[in-house]
Amino acid sequence: MLQTAFNGVVTGVIMALPALAVTLLFGVLKFPNFAVGAMMTVAAYLAFGLNAQLGWPLAAATVAAALAMGALCIGIDQLTFKPLRERGAITLMVASLGLGFILENVARFAYGNTARSFAIELARPFRVADVRMNHEQMITIAVSSAAMIAMWVLLTRLPIGRAMRAVADNPSLALVRGIESPRVIRWTWFLAGVLLALGGVLIGMDRALEPPMGSNYLISVFAAAILGGLGSPLGAFVGALVVGVVSELSTLVVAPNYRIGVPLLALAVILVFRPQGLFGQPYIRK
Amino acid sequence: MTSILKVSSLHAGYGAGDILKGIDVELPAGSILTIIGPNGSGKSTLAKTLAGLLRARQGSIELEGEPLNELSAPKRVLAGISYVPQEYNVFRNLTVLENLKIAREFMGARGPRDFMGANGKAARGLDDGLEELFPELPKHYRIAAGNLSGGQRQMLAFACALTVRPKLLILDEPSAGLSPILTREVFERVERVNRTGVSILMIEQNAIEALRISHSCVVLSGGRVRACASAKDVLGMKDLNSFYLGDASNRI
Repeated sequence: MLQTAFNGVVTGVIMALPALAVTLLFGVLKFPNFAVGAMMTVAAYLAFGLNAQLGWPLAAATVAAALAMGALCIGIDQLTFKPLRERGAITLMVASLGLGFILENVARFAYGNTARSFAIELARPFRVADVRMNHEQMITIAVSSAAMIAMWVLLTRLPIGRAMRAVADNPSLALVRGIESPRVIRWTWFLAGVLLALGGVLIGMDRALEPPMGSNYLISVFAAAILGGLGSPLGAFVGALVVGVVSELSTLVVAPNYRIGVPLLALAVILVFRPQGLFGQPYIRK
Repeated sequence: MTSILKVSSLHAGYGAGDILKGIDVELPAGSILTIIGPNGSGKSTLAKTLAGLLRARQGSIELEGEPLNELSAPKRVLAGISYVPQEYNVFRNLTVLENLKIAREFMGARGPRDFMGANGKAARGLDDGLEELFPELPKHYRIAAGNLSGGQRQMLAFACALTVRPKLLILDEPSAGLSPILTREVFERVERVNRTGVSILMIEQNAIEALRISHSCVVLSGGRVRACASAKDVLGMKDLNSFYLGDASNRI
């Protein structure tokens, strides 16, 4: 029980990263980006290339992959989403689905379907109060928590974070308060790219590297972001933990194959009573 | 008197048709101009076009002789125009203090360095002059702006617009949705802002109250200027309603 809950927490903190990316992108750009799964995959393979093929330490490879993914996301936005910006959320969402297919298959083309893993030393798991933990899980929790705290500081303390929240809150007011939204959009993509890259590497460490590694998490990630309230960074974190723990714990009761269904059920129930999600603001159509 | 704002044969609109069909307005520096007119006459469209949210299709907008047409909305804020929309004029999820900081940071309008918070002044909320004008705001610094009352929210929106030290303040129906007492307070505040040297262009339904503090008045109807007069003359009129509706017989 405790072991399962702990595994759920680890899954949760991994999903918190892409869930935060989804929620930031949705807040500023107002469409659900379904390419986040494939973006995680691409970033994970970037880190894999540097780590396993060029022999960089995984930490350095991750940092490089995160920065590269941030830049790549800005580029992708300019090529794919920017020309469609005025066409509405549905068009952008469909574009993101297509983009996801392309990115995932680029990864498949480059590295094939074989599952791979990072070049990291294996270490013996250790036990705390009867719960078995391994080093990767510790690193995962540390990295994800640090990223979350950093994002929280950025969003609440730095001008760029305030500007992102302002654009998410009211785009036209943001313009007349002197905020150049194209710049804010580029920053948002960059940060989302960094978060997705971290998420991708952590998934690769937790499981293995394979082309569908990111899109496997897509439904859970969206469930987490919606559960917390789309647009709410704190909600993304809490939502991811809830989805992670609930889906792991559910395996004690139902067959593991149905694991993904349980948080969706929880999501449906919560949305009946709180349509805006746990921490979301009621959506006001302007 | 020199004019701060000069609008000549301005056309603008959404979709196929023009809502503004050739507007000429001039605002003498340091004065208050009120724009009145029936619903759908293009008042708010004019305000949005001046603020840069809507592109001018024809005609020109000049601030102190400088053409503004090609400037984006954020660049117009830098040029000295500050606009307070009618609704949703504060960031509801941000605190009062964050609203004020945002307004002063000009995010990115001047260049990338804005994003790293090079603007040290922004660390404070109101500066001294504005604290005198809005003494009630610092009490609410930590509150989310969405939780303020209607009157407080309007004051915050004013303060945000003024914190950039604009030359011209554009107010779109500042009294909308406020009680008569609050309306009077808002207009009194507008007058005090004007006395600090800020020119004001105000759109109002509350014509009589607004005209009491205004210097001049423009009547808009059907996207055209129907009349243009001094506020005193309009207030002295017996048949203010027909004037308000842009009756041609009252054209001065």
